[in-house]
Amino acid sequence: MAFNLNRARGEVDADTLYERRRRRFRILVCIDGSDASYDGLRFASRIGESDECDIILLYVRPIDQGMRTGGLQVRVARENMLDWGLELPGIRHLKKGLSMLAGDESLSAHWTTKTSHTDSWGDPLGDNKVEYRHENGKSIVLKLKAAPDVASGVLDQYELGPYNLIIMGEPSHWHSEARSFFGASVAQKVAMLSPCSVMVARPKGVHQNRGHLICVDGTRHSLDAMRREAVLAHHSGDSITVLCVARHQSEAATAERVLEKSVEMLSRIDIHDVGTLVRVGDPVEEIVRAGNDHSVIAVADSGKKLIRRLFTGGIAFRVMGAAETSVLNVR
Amino acid sequence: MPLPTVALLIIVGQILLLGVDSNTVAKSLMTDSVLFIMGSLMLAVAVVKQKLDIRIAWLIVRVTGTKTTRICFGISVVSGVLASFVGEHTVAAMMLPVGITLISLTSDDPKEVRRLAAVLLFSISYGCSIAGIGTPSGGARNAIMIGYWKEFFFDPTNPETRKFLIDYITWIAYAYPVFLIQLPFVTLILNWTFKPEYQHLSRSVARLRQQIVNQGPMKPSDWLAIAIFALILVGWIFLSGEIGLGTVAIMGAAIFLIVGLVRWEEINSGVNWGVVLLYAAAISLGLQMKDTGAAQWVAESFLHLLKPLGAEEGIGLWAAVSALTTLVTNTMSNGAAVAVLGPIVLKMAIVAGENPLILGFITAISSAFAYLTVVGTPACTIVYASGYLKTTDFLVVGWRMVVMSTIIMILAATFYWPLLGG
Repeated sequence: MAFNLNRARGEVDADTLYERRRRRFRILVCIDGSDASYDGLRFASRIGESDECDIILLYVRPIDQGMRTGGLQVRVARENMLDWGLELPGIRHLKKGLSMLAGDESLSAHWTTKTSHTDSWGDPLGDNKVEYRHENGKSIVLKLKAAPDVASGVLDQYELGPYNLIIMGEPSHWHSEARSFFGASVAQKVAMLSPCSVMVARPKGVHQNRGHLICVDGTRHSLDAMRREAVLAHHSGDSITVLCVARHQSEAATAERVLEKSVEMLSRIDIHDVGTLVRVGDPVEEIVRAGNDHSVIAVADSGKKLIRRLFTGGIAFRVMGAAETSVLNVR
Repeated sequence: MPLPTVALLIIVGQILLLGVDSNTVAKSLMTDSVLFIMGSLMLAVAVVKQKLDIRIAWLIVRVTGTKTTRICFGISVVSGVLASFVGEHTVAAMMLPVGITLISLTSDDPKEVRRLAAVLLFSISYGCSIAGIGTPSGGARNAIMIGYWKEFFFDPTNPETRKFLIDYITWIAYAYPVFLIQLPFVTLILNWTFKPEYQHLSRSVARLRQQIVNQGPMKPSDWLAIAIFALILVGWIFLSGEIGLGTVAIMGAAIFLIVGLVRWEEINSGVNWGVVLLYAAAISLGLQMKDTGAAQWVAESFLHLLKPLGAEEGIGLWAAVSALTTLVTNTMSNGAAVAVLGPIVLKMAIVAGENPLILGFITAISSAFAYLTVVGTPACTIVYASGYLKTTDFLVVGWRMVVMSTIIMILAATFYWPLLGG
């Protein structure tokens, strides 16, 4: 809707804007005011230092439903709050996030500000956006969005993107595939349905810089994901260890060969000093065990189509739930 | 499917499936109860727009001082007394900024005032919730139950049935004491559950005082709004028996519009008309449940279930009806709960040989026990919109509130209502 409005006003064409965004590394950080969500932001701040990287802070506010308030629209209460000079829920959290990324002095000296508002879901308080753009082209966006529920708000925001990475704070719970149909947390829903890579940030992973553990299984899909994640880790100055899990001892030699190939691939893109690790056993258990000594576990997505992913999950999905450190599901 | 579609299907279903004449269905949609719901929602928007909230806030802190417990009690009392007359959604919308201002002036960091926020905001919402049953104008459910009693039991040719025409004062006599007794328990339960971080709010009260000073003295429009509201109150107390609660509410909304204290556009955008339609359809369905015998069948089935538990009469039945209403009202609005359960409970009273007034009051009052969920009552939904509360907070404190309210209501039904002839 925002794109159509902009087009009507003669602003940048939607396709042009989309293409322009595709050329940048865009990170969507979901903020809900919890410590876990700020942990995610700290990670985004670390990997997103480059001028080529934009960070979008998103707070999703459930849409106001007059049906639940006996017929009086919640907007009456909200407008009353605004008249008192009180902020909408979420603004305070987004401002705190902004202060973690850029200081007040820097903002006033080097950044330009642009605000915009879009009606959504018939709610006049709708979506609000403040974009801070640095002289060098980097931008930080604070987005306050209304949606029927938080997970669909995050996924809807992806559609307005695109984004390369969505970062969520540690979820309150993580259910098995079957149970997740009935009570999935926001992070789990987003991890299941997001088209782009998703990271679940955990305090242990964010506060201690102990490098990235990248998991490969020899498939083209996993090697490609490894290459992308290694670039990210290398860019942040973090150490890299590549892990391959053999289900049985007889497959250990194959795992060794996969790792040799992986190291060779990385050296071709000037990434050296890569550690390697072979483990034998259940992939999920071994990845979690080895990964808990690292800041980030990166696992390639199963590559399954959405419906299959919903029913059968995958190693990446299970590692996301079981690990004690941050997990990046690379898509 | 949008929820108002259910209302449309109820209307169509009555005509096509039950073969009821369309004019009869149309008439059953617009009862005095529905007029009241419509009028009170318009009044709610009009009252909130008058910005009297800051004056009310000042009144509270002037009387209570700066001690947190006393401020919470003051907020519950004022929210409750107002909500008992104008409806909980109106008061919750008015008092929400008061609560948030006190919280945010105490600390900018929500974590530092997490428990204080819970105590202050729940004082508003639960103060409103327990009060909504105080008078007939306190909520849609009350008007709906009054309408059901009249529809089910009043026979103009039988003077004995006049006791089922419950007027404003009679309702207050039954329900207001139940609200008043609950008030101190709300503060006790909230403080016991959350134990606020700050025992005194001196700093925030001082800054609130400054905000009020900046507003200047009361304006003529403020006095006019208060006068109109007093007029509506007098109309409800003395005229509603003759012309109906709904007519007075509609008249009040019209006066606010005529004198220019609120614009139609503000009312139009502030009221969710789908809810009015839903209430109308639910009441219409309730009447059809009576006429077709569906209510009787459900009532008999429910009593049959209660028999092995020894709860088919007396206090056992009251507790069972209260539990059923509490369960339903925590998943939908309290007005809808009464609209759906009312016909069944009243038929149940006949089958069990119980007084329909007692069971009706138990249903209406229990519909206020929606303390457990965000969507249970309008006041809970509105304070939740502040962003300070978690959904689990409602469960943590809500069950204590349910136990307290149920005990007080059952005690009133046992010892107090019989004194009134109930």
